[in-house]
Amino acid sequence: MNAPFFRFGAFNDETSLIVAFVIGLAFGFFLERAGFGSARKLTAQFYFKDLSVLKVMFTAILTAMTGLYVVSRFGLVDLSLVHLTPTFLVPQLLGGVLLGIGFVIGGYCPGTSVVSAATGRLDAVVFLGGMFAGTLAIGFASPVLAPLASLTAFGARTLPAVLHLPHGVVVLAVVVLAIGAFVAAEWAERKLGGVEPGPGSLLGSPRPLNPARGLVAGLLGLGLVAAVAGNPYREGRVRLDARRLAELAGSAVDQVTAEDLGAWIIEGRADFVLVDLRSEAEYARHRIPGARHVPLASLDDTIVPRTEKLVLYAASEAQAAQAWVLLKAQGFKAVYTLAGGLDAWNHEVLFPAAPAEETPSANAAFARRVAVARHLGGSPRGAAVGTPEPPSNLGPPPTPATTPGSKSAAPVAKKKREGC
Amino acid sequence: MSAPSAPPKPYLNPYLAGFGLGLVLLSAFVIMGRGLGASGAVTTTAAVAVRTVAPAYAGASPFFSDYLGDGSISPFKDWLVFQVIGVFVGGLLSGAFGNRLRVTVEKGPHFSTPRRLLLAFVGGAILAMGAKLALGCMSGQALTGGALLNAGSWAAMVCIFGGAYGFAWFVRRQWL
Repeated sequence: MNAPFFRFGAFNDETSLIVAFVIGLAFGFFLERAGFGSARKLTAQFYFKDLSVLKVMFTAILTAMTGLYVVSRFGLVDLSLVHLTPTFLVPQLLGGVLLGIGFVIGGYCPGTSVVSAATGRLDAVVFLGGMFAGTLAIGFASPVLAPLASLTAFGARTLPAVLHLPHGVVVLAVVVLAIGAFVAAEWAERKLGGVEPGPGSLLGSPRPLNPARGLVAGLLGLGLVAAVAGNPYREGRVRLDARRLAELAGSAVDQVTAEDLGAWIIEGRADFVLVDLRSEAEYARHRIPGARHVPLASLDDTIVPRTEKLVLYAASEAQAAQAWVLLKAQGFKAVYTLAGGLDAWNHEVLFPAAPAEETPSANAAFARRVAVARHLGGSPRGAAVGTPEPPSNLGPPPTPATTPGSKSAAPVAKKKREGC
Repeated sequence: MSAPSAPPKPYLNPYLAGFGLGLVLLSAFVIMGRGLGASGAVTTTAAVAVRTVAPAYAGASPFFSDYLGDGSISPFKDWLVFQVIGVFVGGLLSGAFGNRLRVTVEKGPHFSTPRRLLLAFVGGAILAMGAKLALGCMSGQALTGGALLNAGSWAAMVCIFGGAYGFAWFVRRQWL
């Protein structure tokens, strides 16, 4: 079994929305359980009255971090396919300060304001209105702010990469620091907030083992495992087993047919990146709608994130296969090539030929292909009216698929942003 | 709204609530390959509002058009939008089970409601700008990025706490 399930195509975009709803439901449920529907409880964090924000947040971080380490290290999840928001240091430092100030003035962060509004807090509704206004303001100012927002770009970077430490060691360090912060938080609540730690706390429990202590001990145990169990990323370099690669390249496993690709484009699926590997001039002359031009030489994870599902094509299948091997060797997992290359696209999708035998089912299939071809700016060839010859050299349409109003008219598919 | 007469039940132990949240976050990683978020849904709403009023401007603005897609599917058919709808329903359910549904305004005892609402608006606006610069809010950066050991997220997280503690003194009358 391979995870993240969505990245390996276990379900489609539509289903992912149901998943989003269910995950959101559980998220909102626990936020409210924790008391984060109350701005007073949230902001008590900053007056040392009630440090629940810190405790909840860091327990959640430790749980997800150690859990993700375990499921990645022991093979279920390909960690390189989990989306990592790129680092832009200066804007993030500045944005963080604004987030903090907005939090203590407004009383909420975005997620908790939704929970709070759901439970009847009118100030949370107003807060959401403020967020709407602030988003509009920064959106209108974005042309001016663009140089600032793109300062100090470091790409997708993890702390272990920055610190040159093994991933598991950083996991353990975070666990230890967080547990230290929990103890300090309970101490501060007593000393500064005048709140005695209760029976459910780490310090105040009369019993040696309570759920909080058990949980913290378990997290510490997982942190220790992480520190010695090695790298959670799957082998970044494939051992170039020529036979295995030949088998894969010869099979259709990592291939997408032209017909499927046409259907994806028309459906407006945004879960893949289509990469054109040919020369700039060829790309400018004729391309599959939505394709990005990435020359073979610059094909690495700074141009194309390793978390993306990639569909590669070139004039022939062989050229794309070279890139496929290259990317596989760099540890990309979800890489596909267009079966038959651009030729297949032209033949099968843009200018489909009429079936040789006119059976009802063959005709129905052809009618579907004609509809697809028309949609993408091509035309059928063959038996129909006057048998127009396929344009010489399988003439690409002069302006590929830019029918006004066509769904796929955008020259480069605008993939919606991922992340928060 | 439930009868205000029933007293609200106590909140869940913070460590256990955090454990629950952590499992939710982990399942998002394993199932979807991405974490949680919230502020992006507000941006989608704002982008659609701008497109409704000024379609040409929205299309030309990289900021807004990023959230509108290529027009082939509704911008609201989006992971974060559906997730935030879930957050609302989940919060409502939990609040109902805990007898915590109250139409009220959260503030300290010595602060007037109009001023509280004004500050809620101002705080929301400042926070939204921060979320755009930081490429995410507490859910997307602090929680998700924190668990992924994302370098930029940890930088942002330190600044979130720094900014909040640094400014808390100025708004203490609102809360204490």
